[in-house]
Amino acid sequence: MNLHEESRPLVVVGAGPAGLCAAMEAAGAGLPPLVLDEGSQGGGQLVKQIHRFFGSREHGAGKRGFEIAVELVSGCLEGGAEIRLGHRVLGFFRDGRLLVDGGEGVFLLRPGATILATGAVERSFPFPGWTLPGVMGAGAAQTLVNLHGVLPGKRALMVGAGNVGLIVAYQLLQAGMEVAGVIEVSRRVGGYLVHAERLRREGVPLFLRHRVVAAEGGKEVESVLVEDMETGALKRFLVDTLCLAVGMAPQAELAAMRGCRLVHVPELGGFLPWHDREMRTDHPGVYVAGDLAGVEEASVAMDEGRLAGLAAARDAGVLDPGKAAARMREIGARLELLRGGPFGEPRRRAKERLCSLPGSARGREDGDRVRRKGRLKKR
Amino acid sequence: MSPDIPGEGDLWRSSWEAAVDGAVAVVDCREEIPCNPCEEACPTGAIRVGPDICAAPRFDPQACNGCGRCVALCPGMAVFLLDRREKSGFARVTVPYEMGERPVEGEEVQVVDGEGKALTGGKILKIRALGGGAPTLLVTVRVPESVALKVRGVRYRLMERDGFREVDKLPSLADYPLCRCEDVPLERVRDILRTGLKSLPSLRRASRVGLGYCQGMFCQSSLRQELAEATGREGEEIGSFRVRPPVRPVKLGFLGGGNA
Repeated sequence: MNLHEESRPLVVVGAGPAGLCAAMEAAGAGLPPLVLDEGSQGGGQLVKQIHRFFGSREHGAGKRGFEIAVELVSGCLEGGAEIRLGHRVLGFFRDGRLLVDGGEGVFLLRPGATILATGAVERSFPFPGWTLPGVMGAGAAQTLVNLHGVLPGKRALMVGAGNVGLIVAYQLLQAGMEVAGVIEVSRRVGGYLVHAERLRREGVPLFLRHRVVAAEGGKEVESVLVEDMETGALKRFLVDTLCLAVGMAPQAELAAMRGCRLVHVPELGGFLPWHDREMRTDHPGVYVAGDLAGVEEASVAMDEGRLAGLAAARDAGVLDPGKAAARMREIGARLELLRGGPFGEPRRRAKERLCSLPGSARGREDGDRVRRKGRLKKR
Repeated sequence: MSPDIPGEGDLWRSSWEAAVDGAVAVVDCREEIPCNPCEEACPTGAIRVGPDICAAPRFDPQACNGCGRCVALCPGMAVFLLDRREKSGFARVTVPYEMGERPVEGEEVQVVDGEGKALTGGKILKIRALGGGAPTLLVTVRVPESVALKVRGVRYRLMERDGFREVDKLPSLADYPLCRCEDVPLERVRDILRTGLKSLPSLRRASRVGLGYCQGMFCQSSLRQELAEATGREGEEIGSFRVRPPVRPVKLGFLGGGNA
């Protein structure tokens, strides 16, 4: 089979905040990349984020996510990067080549270097009724209301009081839905207090130490059964929409396929590719950034992207190592600040632990390997 | 008069005192989060966060000119304006507003506290739009001075609070799928685990969880969780699915190099 094959000095997979900032930095250093994204517009999750951003000026703080997306995309294009939307990367082979579905057919890419910025995927968990229409990830609900202008229902219950749950619950109100409450298994709100307070002033109650027992209904969600974990008392919420905001997991499939060492870091979302402080994996020429390298804030993703772009340009020989080091120090100091405070501290420590692990050790992979003779080898 | 100051009243005492001469900010931001748009927005240097952007903002009401840019640009909607120049027992409070219903100058509106409870009705004196492309509305309402520091918003929709019903006893719950692509019930997975399978790949093959359309994107964590509970192992010990191309669903004809 002869597939069309292209060569590129640098390919960035994912046009979210991490990928776009990586592309901009690499292009600025003289290594204009090809950026691939499966979405129909550049910006990743930013395109549906209508809230103003935290962070500082370098992260677009005070602007709304979708405004930042537009700025990053135009910054990339002005810098000479090429962005191809509607392109799904299906495979990342051990010889370094990428298999890409461009919508019209598949083709191969042979990159000099690759920056993976594939982001994270929403977690879900199974419970009775979880397959009923009306149960969805909080991000899916956010996409429906903010990107497509479609209400998922009339009245929602949100599961999870982290920032995603709190922010999306507020945005459902903004879109015109009712929110019956936010339930959370732990004893405290996981997200920022200001987000919880914005919601409470709209009359949305928070139920701490509560868990979902079942979504109920014939053809779709009609009610949700919730348990008070302290007393065992049961509550039935009459809602037609149940949103799950129970965390994200890095989309590490491509990194794993390439053979990058995966490490399990619970504070950062689970399995993710090992990387050093310059976002290099244990495979030369393969870099990671953003939620793939540990689920954090978009502001962190931007700065990690910048580090990856600089490292790739320097390693490719187009950027002076001294210049790269100076800029990396500046960005590294910003990342330290972003990971300050009680919210950032656990992530900062987890990241330190991860980066100080030796990168050369082969991580354990999914148990069996097929030998050439076809016999299964047990580990 | 001494206002009924909620919570950490001293935090806002200086704002309260300065407000007799005109609008000043009331900064209700008490958590160390990495954020400084208020400092960036302030034209007079009245709000300072400093180089450590996690620090809570420090506010000097004497330097504040009441412009309201911090109110519009605070991502947490945690800054308000207080104006007591009327000295008539009424104060003017300005709140950020980003809901769908459009407020109208001159109308009466529900004014709520931080719990969403109605404090009073208030007349909307002024509406301004600030903050670029998709501006935040700054809504100024006239309220009794005694509740001014408690005001956190204006509301058009008052939802039924505690919108739930008590349930006496747990209804019987049917089995449900752990994996929706291959429609594998949870009990089927638990039966397989009871036969003593201990590795993720063998559990995957025996149950077909993770071999469907989503390639494990939605079920892998659930399966790992079940395995963790059955074996007492966790995290890296359990490992993750071996990944093979394609990582996204694709037509077979495409892989043959065509565009069928």
